Amino acid sequence: MVGLPARGKTFIAQKVGRYLQWVGVNTRVFNVGEYRREQCGAHQLHNFFDPENPEGKRKRQEAASAAMDDLLHWITNEEGTAVAIYDATNSTQERRRWILERCRTYQARAQLQVMFIESVCEDEEVVMENIRAVKLQSPDYAGVDPEAAARDFRERIRHYESSYEPVQERDLTYIRLVNVRSQVVVNLIRGYLQSRVVYYLMNLHVSRRCIFFSRHGESMFNVEGKIGGDSLLSPRGEQYANALPQLIKDNLGSENLTVWTSTMRRTIQTASKLPYPKLQWKALDELNAGEKYPEDYANRDDDKFNYRYRGGESYRDVVLRLEPVMMELERQHNILIIGHQAILRCIYAYFMNLPRDELPYIRVPLHTVIRLAPKAYGCEETRFRVNIEAVDTHRPKPQAG
Amino acid sequence: MAAQLYKTESGRLFHAGAIAIITVGLPARGKTHTARSLLRYLRWLGVSTQVFHLGDYRRQVVGEKVSWDFFHPDNQATMALRKTILECALADLLAFFHTGGQVGIFDAANTTDERRKQLQERLEHEHVQVQSICDKEDIINANIRSVKISSPDYLGWNEEKALEDFKHRIENHMPFYQTINDPALSYVKMFNAGEHMVFNNINGYLQTRIVYYMMNLHISPRVIYFARNGESLNEQMDRADADLSPAGHRYAEHLKDFLLQRRAERQEETGESPRRLQVWTSPRRRSFNSACHFEFPVQVRQRAQLIEINPGDCDGMTKDEIRAKYPDEWANYQQDSYRYRFPRAESYHDLAVRVEPVILELEREKDDVLFIAHLSVLRLLYAYLMGIQEKDVLSINIPRDTLIEIIPSAYRYKETRMIIPGVKRE
Repeated sequence: MVGLPARGKTFIAQKVGRYLQWVGVNTRVFNVGEYRREQCGAHQLHNFFDPENPEGKRKRQEAASAAMDDLLHWITNEEGTAVAIYDATNSTQERRRWILERCRTYQARAQLQVMFIESVCEDEEVVMENIRAVKLQSPDYAGVDPEAAARDFRERIRHYESSYEPVQERDLTYIRLVNVRSQVVVNLIRGYLQSRVVYYLMNLHVSRRCIFFSRHGESMFNVEGKIGGDSLLSPRGEQYANALPQLIKDNLGSENLTVWTSTMRRTIQTASKLPYPKLQWKALDELNAGEKYPEDYANRDDDKFNYRYRGGESYRDVVLRLEPVMMELERQHNILIIGHQAILRCIYAYFMNLPRDELPYIRVPLHTVIRLAPKAYGCEETRFRVNIEAVDTHRPKPQAG
Repeated sequence: MAAQLYKTESGRLFHAGAIAIITVGLPARGKTHTARSLLRYLRWLGVSTQVFHLGDYRRQVVGEKVSWDFFHPDNQATMALRKTILECALADLLAFFHTGGQVGIFDAANTTDERRKQLQERLEHEHVQVQSICDKEDIINANIRSVKISSPDYLGWNEEKALEDFKHRIENHMPFYQTINDPALSYVKMFNAGEHMVFNNINGYLQTRIVYYMMNLHISPRVIYFARNGESLNEQMDRADADLSPAGHRYAEHLKDFLLQRRAERQEETGESPRRLQVWTSPRRRSFNSACHFEFPVQVRQRAQLIEINPGDCDGMTKDEIRAKYPDEWANYQQDSYRYRFPRAESYHDLAVRVEPVILELEREKDDVLFIAHLSVLRLLYAYLMGIQEKDVLSINIPRDTLIEIIPSAYRYKETRMIIPGVKRE
């Protein structure tokens, strides 16, 4: 990452990390600020960041080195494709050369590609908003008067500004995002993964919004204990569909909303009473269980994420087909998804950054609306249970042994 | 996701309005390559798209034989003619938008602020300017040789003479060339075939999509091959995921031998530097086992997006059985075979949405790629590469004994069909 403080670097790093992890690339973020806090304690005032302060400079360099050591150690020991995100200001050419040099000379792993992501924000208001929303909550300012903290943080930014050199080295691979992608510059982007990251970043926005999701109301098949099929709602499922509009209205107010459903009848029927624009997505259809073979259930518990029903799909396949939906979800504002158990598990795992082995066991009960509000480090979750009975379709992870 | 989600009342897709794309750049900077690629991609997505190439209008008005000084901006004698040509092209572009067209690409040099201002005033639509910039002599020369000299303008010319004449044309533009620099405009600048790019004020789904596509383009030579899966033990039922039959196994061997031999021969003929080969299959047994004879350094990748079209409740049924069991569904299917979805099945259109990420990855790939896949998937990929219209996709014929070789170029891709020796004809 590259950029002055309070330019949304950590937000971007976390989002990219979560996205890559979700599509199956091992990813870890190394935040130099955390190393600094651990080594020198929080509560450092702005003079610590003054380039003229030799003591501060040395300590900050130590934190940067320690984070880089851990990063290189981690990525070398990962199998297959792995991405490490080095989250710090990296705001001078000298620092960026140092990063390249460290990555180049770390022998153990032959090919380590380095890509810089710079976030530039020229709008003072947006920067102030970011300081208030994120920085003042950080451990650095725990217990400090907010006004004083904001003043101190702005001084900290000034120290970086004096030596700041935007990324423009023509021999580096980089993407520059200027004022929340009103201008994007890319240079020497190589390979599919890098180009995916660029596309992902071009779709991100930082406006406040909510994502609601709910499974369809209880279906006839749920009652009968069957999976697959395209059945209609049970009478209790219909009651749920009738109750949904009021629940959404109570928690959304008069804001705009778009409803996404699958092409299956139980989700369309569940959404039918909602007074908002609706879209159907084939990609939101339930996991295809294919042909039933008796050995399936037993085998599936060994590795539920990768287990592909014969002639059907695995959770891994579902993640792949959902990827374009997630990209579109990033672009949108308030969205309500009426979906299916396996599909919502994948979407939930994306926003809550849950690992793949836990994903197939996430609890997404019937007749419950989940609301996620994205924040800098993750999402704030609220669950609204509707008081209409439904069967429980959750199968817990079997205990080892 | 890419193929359209939903049509709006205007018939335009993605809830995006009409977009005029104006190319900017000196001759031989790859403008036409970009314009043609975009045309192919957007049409495949179902977006009504048209390229308006100023050179074609010029040829219509004054014919092929023009000397380089025709294009000189100070040439008073040709000024009126050049204005007429521009007006013809603009009139067609505007007519295209008025009849429901969504993306109109105006392919010309448009190298001055004045010209671009003129265009903006005439086009009341959203517009994106795409500027190709290139300062690498070798890329420019390769472009002149591969695209310009084969154009109708130089029919029957000596190659070196043509090259020289064309360079004069470029020099004519040089003194008047102004780069785009108004931050209020929506524009893309591509330097040296995508090495460095600037996107300014790119908004909305379709614009972002277009830009992402352009980012994945490259101009290095390469070849794409298509082959069907070998025969399986259960050809009727998709869900059975049956393994190859003995004949299927023999096919897999013949396919490998023939393809490797073909590549060796081509390599000798063209003298191009050798490229690696990748084989992309679906994760179905009949697909990836058809690639099992390829050995290192050929890389075989299984990709879930390439799985056969989902037949839904009709799996295992013959056409007659479907017609008998679902007469209404069958009738609807006859109306719109591309978009119609049988119960719990995928339509071709659904499949196109699923396959689209592979297309972007294919564009970016510099190795040669062999697809061994199911008929439905191959038809869609073929339709994309060869610019086949939606209504004709289901008629694309890809026999099981045929290897298709496709070589990309700026205009129409070159296709060669070859019978794989030793494979029994259907």
